[in-house]
Amino acid sequence: MSIIYFLIGCSVLLALIFLAAFFWAQRHGQHDDLYTPSVRILLDEEPESEQKK
Amino acid sequence: MQPEKFYYDNKIVRNFGIATVIWGITGMLVGLIIAIQLYRPEMNMGNQYTTFGRIRPLHTNAVIFAFVGNAIFMGIYYSLQRLMKARMFSDTLSKLHFWGWQLIIVSAVVTLPLGITTSHEYAELEWPIDILITIVWVIFGINMFGTIIKRRERHIYVAVWFYIATFVTVAVLHIVNSIELPISFTKSYMVFAGVQDALVQWWYGHNAVAFFLTTPYLGMMYYFLPKMANRPIYSYKLSILHFWALIFIYIWAGPHHLLYSTLPGWAQSLGVVFSIMLIAPSWGGMINGLLTLRGAWDKVRDDVTLKFMVVGLTAYGMATFEGPMLSLKQVNAIGHFTDWIIAHVHVGALGWNGFLTFAILYWLIPRIYKTELYSKKLASFHFWIGTLGILFYAIPMYWSGFTQGLMWKEFTPEGMLKYPNFLETTMRIIPMYVMRSIGGTLYLTGVFVMAYNLYKTAVQGKLVADEAAEAMPLERLDQHAAGERWHRRLERKPILFLVASLIVILIGTFVELMPTLTISSNVPTIASVKPYSPLELQGRDIYIREGCVNCHSQQIRPFRSETERYGEYSKAGEFVYDHPFLWGSKRTGPDLQREGGKYGNSWHYNHLMDPRLMSPGSIMPNYDWLIRQKLDTSTTGAKIRAMQKLGVPYPAGYDKKANRDLDIQAKGIADNLAMDHIKVKSNKEIIAVIAYLQRLGTDIKANKTANN
Amino acid sequence: MKQGEIKEQTRCYHCGNDCIDERVELDEKVFCCNGCREVYAVLSATGLCNYYSFNDHPGVSREKTGKRFDYLRESSIVKDLVDYSDDQSTIVTFYIPNIHCSSCIWLLEQLNKLNPAIYYSRIDFLRKQIVIRFDNRQASLYDVVVLLDHVGYEPLISLQDVIKKQTTGRKDKLVRKIAVAGFCFGNVMLLSFPEYFGLSGQEEAFKTFFGWLNLAFCLPVVLYSATDYFRSAWTNLKNKVLNIDLPLALGIAVLFGRTAVEVIAHIGPGFADTCCGLVFFLLVGKFVQRKTYYHLSFERDYRSFFPVAVQVMEEHMERSVPLSDIRVGQRILIRNNEIIPADSILLKGDAKIDFSFVTGESVPVSKVLGEVVYAGGRQTGEAIELEVMKPVSQSYLTSLWNNEAFARTQDNRMQTFSGTVSKYFTIVLLAIAFGSFFFWLPFDFHRALSAFTAVLIIACPCALALSTPFTMSAALSILDKNLFYLKNTDVVEQMARIDTIVLDKTGTITIAGGNTIALSGNLSAYEKRLVYSACGNSAHPLSRLICQYLEGARKLNTTAYFELPGRGITAEIDGNSVNVGNERFVKPGPQVNKNAGSTEVHMAINDKYLGYFSISQRYRPGIGAVKDLSPNYNTFLLSGDHGHERAALSEIFDPDFMFFEKSPQDKLDFVKKLQSLGRKVMMIGDGLNDAGALKQSDLGIAITDDVNNFSPGSDAILDGRSLSKLPVFFKFSRDAVRVIYSSFLISLTYNMLGLSYAVSGRLSPLVAAILMPLSTVTIISFTSIAIRLAAKRRSLL
Repeated sequence: MSIIYFLIGCSVLLALIFLAAFFWAQRHGQHDDLYTPSVRILLDEEPESEQKK
Repeated sequence: MQPEKFYYDNKIVRNFGIATVIWGITGMLVGLIIAIQLYRPEMNMGNQYTTFGRIRPLHTNAVIFAFVGNAIFMGIYYSLQRLMKARMFSDTLSKLHFWGWQLIIVSAVVTLPLGITTSHEYAELEWPIDILITIVWVIFGINMFGTIIKRRERHIYVAVWFYIATFVTVAVLHIVNSIELPISFTKSYMVFAGVQDALVQWWYGHNAVAFFLTTPYLGMMYYFLPKMANRPIYSYKLSILHFWALIFIYIWAGPHHLLYSTLPGWAQSLGVVFSIMLIAPSWGGMINGLLTLRGAWDKVRDDVTLKFMVVGLTAYGMATFEGPMLSLKQVNAIGHFTDWIIAHVHVGALGWNGFLTFAILYWLIPRIYKTELYSKKLASFHFWIGTLGILFYAIPMYWSGFTQGLMWKEFTPEGMLKYPNFLETTMRIIPMYVMRSIGGTLYLTGVFVMAYNLYKTAVQGKLVADEAAEAMPLERLDQHAAGERWHRRLERKPILFLVASLIVILIGTFVELMPTLTISSNVPTIASVKPYSPLELQGRDIYIREGCVNCHSQQIRPFRSETERYGEYSKAGEFVYDHPFLWGSKRTGPDLQREGGKYGNSWHYNHLMDPRLMSPGSIMPNYDWLIRQKLDTSTTGAKIRAMQKLGVPYPAGYDKKANRDLDIQAKGIADNLAMDHIKVKSNKEIIAVIAYLQRLGTDIKANKTANN
Repeated sequence: MKQGEIKEQTRCYHCGNDCIDERVELDEKVFCCNGCREVYAVLSATGLCNYYSFNDHPGVSREKTGKRFDYLRESSIVKDLVDYSDDQSTIVTFYIPNIHCSSCIWLLEQLNKLNPAIYYSRIDFLRKQIVIRFDNRQASLYDVVVLLDHVGYEPLISLQDVIKKQTTGRKDKLVRKIAVAGFCFGNVMLLSFPEYFGLSGQEEAFKTFFGWLNLAFCLPVVLYSATDYFRSAWTNLKNKVLNIDLPLALGIAVLFGRTAVEVIAHIGPGFADTCCGLVFFLLVGKFVQRKTYYHLSFERDYRSFFPVAVQVMEEHMERSVPLSDIRVGQRILIRNNEIIPADSILLKGDAKIDFSFVTGESVPVSKVLGEVVYAGGRQTGEAIELEVMKPVSQSYLTSLWNNEAFARTQDNRMQTFSGTVSKYFTIVLLAIAFGSFFFWLPFDFHRALSAFTAVLIIACPCALALSTPFTMSAALSILDKNLFYLKNTDVVEQMARIDTIVLDKTGTITIAGGNTIALSGNLSAYEKRLVYSACGNSAHPLSRLICQYLEGARKLNTTAYFELPGRGITAEIDGNSVNVGNERFVKPGPQVNKNAGSTEVHMAINDKYLGYFSISQRYRPGIGAVKDLSPNYNTFLLSGDHGHERAALSEIFDPDFMFFEKSPQDKLDFVKKLQSLGRKVMMIGDGLNDAGALKQSDLGIAITDDVNNFSPGSDAILDGRSLSKLPVFFKFSRDAVRVIYSSFLISLTYNMLGLSYAVSGRLSPLVAAILMPLSTVTIISFTSIAIRLAAKRRSLL
């Protein structure tokens, strides 16, 4: 089952990439403001008339 | 300082959208055909190219990579541009990506019916196409990361993270699962054998589901659902948590596909544990999605796109709950190899992927055509008939799953199998198959209606190929004093880093591969297990070509019900020469691992010619062309050499002598058939197939003592 | 769009207020005030009217305008305010209380449409902050602020940094540590399970492989994620303090040590999973404990209340000077609604100073030229000029902050329960560990060692360490749903110990400036003039109120005037004897119509009783709750103003427990006195005048009507509306503490269980791997469920 070494290797490496990505995000303030972005994506176009009551 | 003007590329989005619809219809149509074939075998029109075994892979590939694939790219190309406030990195790459991907699909549509397949589920495409896939995927990657780099919005919205994860993981998975040794332009052997090959395949198989059918769709859900409902996601915090949790757990859950197989017990249990752990993040996503609509259910009532989203999310919730349940050994014992699995995956595919795709199409097409949807009525008709379709599909399949699963296991008080004849259990579920095809028809009808609706929408509007937008450029922050939170000296590094580390992995992969290439496997070897004879090897490749593995497993689990029915349970050591493994994942027909010697050659001859001669009521198609077609022995040498490369102990230089042995064995079978008054030339394909079938599992029968 | 307006006819298109007094119109849209119209004009001019289509009436009324930002021209001030600046661009962060909806985000992030000098502007919605980067060659900070003010988003600029720096630094680190721990934990689990599921004979190879991988994964956890525990354990040891971190650190160290040994020596799989899991859970606990209120600040002092700068007159030239640079002798100019920053002498103008923030007295007091005006007063009326007597920091009010109460750090006021317990726990644990070690030593060294380590592993107080954070953070979020915001989790525990409550009056139990005055009995115009003239001579707040009430009457000349403190006025005016004062003083004989809740001022002219003014304070709704507290708590009242409400207040407070005319310093001292009597004192106040007492008390609660407004530094901020819930909050806090007790009990039982097994020296990794998460999960679920039940019982949920 030497294949298992190989697969675990791949999986761990993958996981490491994502860990690195997480660190990057953290260091670059991607997680500083965890509310505004969710609103911001709604504001990029003209709101449609029926959306306002 | 003036904001920069730029244009979103809607054309590419539109193209992927069209492709989604067209391939969706194609894939589902094929699905419907094979569904009908399951109770009307003659629906293959007596034609080998449209027979279940060959076009079932076509169905899965078309639906997963053509329909869902294009839908993913449509969603990503639309949302990524807007989330990053930038046009796609390069229009050329976009075009290359689009046409490249269509080329892949077309080549799949051509090769699979021709029986050109690796027989790895969801990875059937042969090595030249695998390479093409890799190239196109890399193009997509460059295009995506390029866009991320030149973005004008600092924050990377959670959806984009899901896209990134999809790209990285699928890249690795695809490469690892496509390590093949080509012997010709259309034929290759998997490098790994038996158990190891199986492990790789399902490590891939599961994660393919995870990272091709789930993560990109979650990403799109996180973008399109808030847009459709015009309200922010219920909890953005949760969505971020959801992402990282999912990413770190998913990758491990593969082995649960091999429960009760000859995979080491602990590896199986491992798969189970992590599959269970998956419930949390999966449901986190679903709940986050549904709660977004809290207090807006009135919107849901009169907005069809939201209706689709809600049902889609619910289906996702059900599927992600059912999955872990199925990975529990007790449940799996019943569910595995039955239609339960079919129901499970279709709840996911039809509900989650299908409905989300439809919702996005209905929302997005009118927008890029700057018009209203042609008909809300038709859309909601689509919704209802689609939902009905899912029900009509899933319920019969669950029913048939339970029924058959239990029938297989049922014993009489005397301790005999209640249904010793497999066919009985099949006959019992035929009605379910009929109903299932009705469900499929309903669902497909809905899609046709959608296609019409969207077409009308497109004509009444006009495509805004390049949609104007403006945003302030993302100023370079290097100049700023250190320690500031905007300080981003390494702004662009990580993405390069991500790509770099990907390359590192691939290198690492092959480095790690070397030992496994020279299979120094500690799979318990069984003295009596011998390599296949040249004729058997050829027969095995026909078995692969015809896709027999789609209906017949070669994996007897250690249950009394199975050992009673099929014989001695499978040992890891039996598969050491199986490149690729042919365990199968579904038993529409009986298991064949111990088929060898059960019946005479003539039985097999007649059965292949017309199964109903031997077992009335069988739903297996006729394989009469095997009798007509001549076996191509020109490849024998190459195949032997390849096998030798992969560590199969044929004597040196055997590739020269191989065809002589082949003829001798074939002659023997032909003569044996002649005794039963069956006149057939020894150079026909059917001889090879019979040889292979007669060989199956005989090594163990030879001496039970060798078992361990 | 259209019918929208018809529906909203009478409501301001901008802010949605009803347009009662004033109706301004612009392209057939109605506005409640010019301020609102201005904003609309600006936006429509730049085609930013989508602002109004994302939400209805997204604006905020701008009636109170006329704020001046001249001081932003002072480079020295600008320097203090900006985050970053170079020769071309400047980055500044402002706190804007008005940010409240998606329209705000949309508009404020498009500032550069209004002023191209702005590169970008970015909102942090929860913090109500905006970060602006602009080209300082084309625009000055002043322009930016004025622009913000124009579009209706006036930033709150103050000397004290109300801006919350982004959560970089510590918290960030913690998240990263959690990520690493979690990542390793996951992988280690994956690699440890095979062992538990049992590896068959020919898979031995994996055992060692996994073992080594596990060890590798442990390294970052121990060397990076867990460092804080080692550090604090060490520092505590040096300071001869025994706290929970010591056993934790020991546990982690031992776990790692044994893992390393077992893996290297091939004698076992080690405890990698337990080790990583432990650290992971501990860190999560830490994270949960740290609750941050983005919109609140518990650390504000007078500087966030005083102006950033004042206008100083130098040879008839005005220029703004930062508060800190004001020197004695300078001549300063104070305009309407501006605060007097330092004790100074009135030189010019008619000073009507509102001292409500300082003394709690809500009625403006007039000062005559040459009189001393104390810092903290707010000028109402025309601009005045004063000469500074004392530097800001030495002034009457601000000198409070020189009190040592402010030097002291908040936290170590009360020893928390977990702190006390863990001390003994540690001692006992170490005793057992060494005990078992020496017990086995004679027979078998290896056994002794393993027993020793086993004890430390099993008894590692993970659950113990987690029970407090999880309980308290749950409690915090429940309280915060009830508009009661605590600074940190310790406060709950402190609250449970309180036995004495001290309340400020004005603004705390009464609503500042909420006086109502009514005349019962009728006066002729002439009589009115007489009373007016009499009261005109008095500085007593009630007299001032009466004068306000009789505004317009012309003064008559007074020939004689006596004021008898606490009783009233006798005056000879225009040949009449006028008596104004309390009932006994004005009319002899029996007391009649005593109606509580209000103060009465009676009048007699020429000994003819004419009736009385009844002046009543408006009390906060739910003030009754304070009364409910008095049985179990001693409740004191400290008021800055005169005792004329004594009668009314005796409804709520024991007369001997009410003290009036207390200066801020007195309040502080009073609290101190109570504490010296061994009382655990809670102070509830609202103004700067309570700041000292709030700081000195064991638990200072600032009460406010709008949490975004100024509130003095405190341990907790209570929204006025929830005052009535105060007794419930007390009960709930005690529940919380009870929950902690029981959770401690549970975790101790777990430890006992494990210990009884560990001392024998035989500890399988599996047991540890099961016991540790099991106890943790139990505690987490128990605490969070129990606390919710408690909240339900107290109907806080």
